[in-house]
Amino acid sequence: MLELKNVHKSFGRNEVLKGVDISVEKGDVVVILGPSGSGKTTLLRSINFLEKADKGTIVFGDIEAKLENASKHDIRAIRKKSAFVFQNYNLFHNRTALQNVTEGLIVARKVPKAEAVEKARKALDKVGLSDRYDYYPSQLSGGQQQRVGIARAIAVNPDVILFDEPTSALDPELIGEVLNVMKELAKEGTTMIVVTHEMTFAQEVANKVIFMDGGVVVEEGPPGEIFTRPKEERTKQFLRRIINDFDYVI
Amino acid sequence: MTLNTEFMLETFFIALKGIPVTLSLAAISLLLASPAAFFMAIARINRIKGLQKAVTVYVSFVRGTPMILQILVIYSLLPSLLNQLFMNLNLKINVFDVNPILYAYIVFTLNTAAALSEVFRSALQTVSIGQLEAAQSIGLSTYKAYTRIVIPQALVVALPNLGNVTVNLIKGTSLAFMMTVKDITALAKIEASYGYNYIEAYIVIFFIYIILCSGVQLAFRLLEKYLGGYRKPAAG
Repeated sequence: MLELKNVHKSFGRNEVLKGVDISVEKGDVVVILGPSGSGKTTLLRSINFLEKADKGTIVFGDIEAKLENASKHDIRAIRKKSAFVFQNYNLFHNRTALQNVTEGLIVARKVPKAEAVEKARKALDKVGLSDRYDYYPSQLSGGQQQRVGIARAIAVNPDVILFDEPTSALDPELIGEVLNVMKELAKEGTTMIVVTHEMTFAQEVANKVIFMDGGVVVEEGPPGEIFTRPKEERTKQFLRRIINDFDYVI
Repeated sequence: MTLNTEFMLETFFIALKGIPVTLSLAAISLLLASPAAFFMAIARINRIKGLQKAVTVYVSFVRGTPMILQILVIYSLLPSLLNQLFMNLNLKINVFDVNPILYAYIVFTLNTAAALSEVFRSALQTVSIGQLEAAQSIGLSTYKAYTRIVIPQALVVALPNLGNVTVNLIKGTSLAFMMTVKDITALAKIEASYGYNYIEAYIVIFFIYIILCSGVQLAFRLLEKYLGGYRKPAAG
């Protein structure tokens, strides 16, 4: 359903992505792991053109485009098929929780207002915020803000939701509420690509784990394989550092 | 020394007639300067080549020279130069027939645009780039993302400085008398000149300006409170 081929990206002289390929099927929950600076976030951002890759191809449903010179039309189309959940939530501060969700529906997708409000309420109910419709982001906790961010993403009914370290900016006690919502979405068959450091989430929820380091995909496979029988030395080192009591079977 | 209170009262009402001129000088300059300032701010933020340099030079030139000099140059030098030019081209346009208020608009607009471009630039930069990205990621065009998300927030941030610029502008228009524009100051000076009652006249307009500027500041504070309601965390 979604395929990226040979993605390259440099920031100045720093080559962040050195030819990455990934493919995602409908209903997949793909977790991208890797040390910081490995290019995970850049890869995720180049899928919906928040970052413009220097080279590469994207095939998304019936759209095929070059990442480096995609037409405005293709970019809009791809953005309409995907949604993004940000590390820092990036809610619209001048909009209530409900308006944050309806904004994309009404303005970008031309959904009639009443219908958009209906959809937005459903999305907020789903993430457990049925009592916070009219709250502004400044009146919500980090966990609640991120759940609004997720509601904003699911309301547009995208083919894939891209999560960029959705829990990294949260206090430890608020991480659970966000991960639970994400688990729920995964159970319903939502296609997700998740950049995260939450190993338990990767182990329990993902059906595919991609390990990136130094701008390339080092290893990928089902979590059972990656976590218990990693093939590459770099994967082993990374997992050892992340999971203190990690014990893999050789 | 005694103050001629009868004269002061008379002058007060005469000077009040200058308020529309003073306020329209300020309002029209603000209206003309705002869009220009906005595009200058965008040019600087997005580092648009060439334009960015030009804007920087313009802003530092305008802000680095006294307004009174700018008035002298634009009101005295410019018409003479234009007149020379028109005469050389055999055009029958008398630049000295032009309503002097036009020159006042030019000076105050140029000044306000420079000050506002800095206000807008810093205000726009307080809205995180993440919100712009979030808007784009749910399918808003850059234009919609700016008009619906970024600018409304930047405006609230800009309001206190916008109020300052406006008050400075109102005070600055008192120099319009140099261009024979009949604003508050000019009317008072004319009255004063008949009987040499300058001190009384100045005291009178002193108060008119205080009231005018305080009113504007209050209006901006209320507007900020009204538009910035979303920034207040809920109690409890």
